[in-house]
Amino acid sequence: MLMPILAQVTGNIHIGLAALGAAIGVGLIGAKASEAVGRNPGAATKILVQSILAIAFAEGIVFFAIFLATKAWPAQG
Amino acid sequence: MRLSSLIVATGLLFSGLTAFAAEAAHEVAGAAEAHHGIPAKAVELWSIGGFPITNSMLITWAVALVLIVFAQVATRDMKRVPSGAQNFLEWVVEGLYGFLEGVIGTMLVKKTFWFFATIFIFILWSNWLGLLPGVGTIGYGHQTDEGFKVAEPWFRGVNADLNMTLAMSMIFFLCWTVWALQVNGPVGFLKHLFAPKGDTTGFLKVLMVVVFLAVGVLEVISIMFRPVSLSFRLYGNIFAGENMLESMANLMPGWLGRVLIPIPFYFMELLVGIVQALVFMLLTAVFTMLICEHDEESGGAHH
Repeated sequence: MLMPILAQVTGNIHIGLAALGAAIGVGLIGAKASEAVGRNPGAATKILVQSILAIAFAEGIVFFAIFLATKAWPAQG
Repeated sequence: MRLSSLIVATGLLFSGLTAFAAEAAHEVAGAAEAHHGIPAKAVELWSIGGFPITNSMLITWAVALVLIVFAQVATRDMKRVPSGAQNFLEWVVEGLYGFLEGVIGTMLVKKTFWFFATIFIFILWSNWLGLLPGVGTIGYGHQTDEGFKVAEPWFRGVNADLNMTLAMSMIFFLCWTVWALQVNGPVGFLKHLFAPKGDTTGFLKVLMVVVFLAVGVLEVISIMFRPVSLSFRLYGNIFAGENMLESMANLMPGWLGRVLIPIPFYFMELLVGIVQALVFMLLTAVFTMLICEHDEESGGAHH
């Protein structure tokens, strides 16, 4: 009983860890970006561009994790 | 002039995309349908002589049609002092132009604006049109114990189809290659990737050549992965959003829960729609800038 449950649970742990890491990363970027805008409101647009790019790279990891963890993809399941 | 070239660009993008999507729809293996949520690939509605028509393609054409008709109507009777639709369109185009000019520079924005503006406007509207009630809920289905289940929806969000996002990122990859070759020239392009940067002499120079060759190989690999990560990012966000709305609608039985619970998430999806359009445009713009900026800098340094 335990082994099938463990076998089914691994993929989700994999995605969960990736999502956790990306969430922490996105949170740090957002915190620092709003702090930066608070210090220098004039640079808001430049900071927005930088932070959106950084957030996009951070969250991209989750999608790689999801696609690599899904059994049916890319091979036909 | 600028507006009309934008329209042409939209049209061109579409004729390329639909052909690509049709081809790719055959090749991409269908992910096993999950027990809950919506299927990972677009459902094929009809097949005309082996050319599959999927439900996300219908929305793609609808978005293209809306954008083309709006651009035509807005620019049909151009005035020096714009009002109404023309005013709105000019505001959008000029706002985007100013924003992109700040990100990638005056020279590059003239050359590449048509692509980034098209990509942004198209992704934004396809994301938002995909949120309309009826997308994903109108279609063929069957009666089950829990109520009526739609098995083959007629409509599906454009970017909830990996073929579409992959096609867009491959088109960007082609444009990127062309722009990089045009700006740097073939030799400059290779130099930009592999040649050592900075001023070193003697033995250190030899070492630097070896190090930067290795760096160049890594850079080529990361460039090859860009279309993959671009398409996964957009598809993942939009598909996950549709799935979340579906789960939230099914969270509580009864029509009240079905209507009320997804509403906050609809607002979040509106935000995700514009942020992902911005992300796609910004990432592609920055990738283009990274390969093209070196030439201007070194050109200024030499003379």
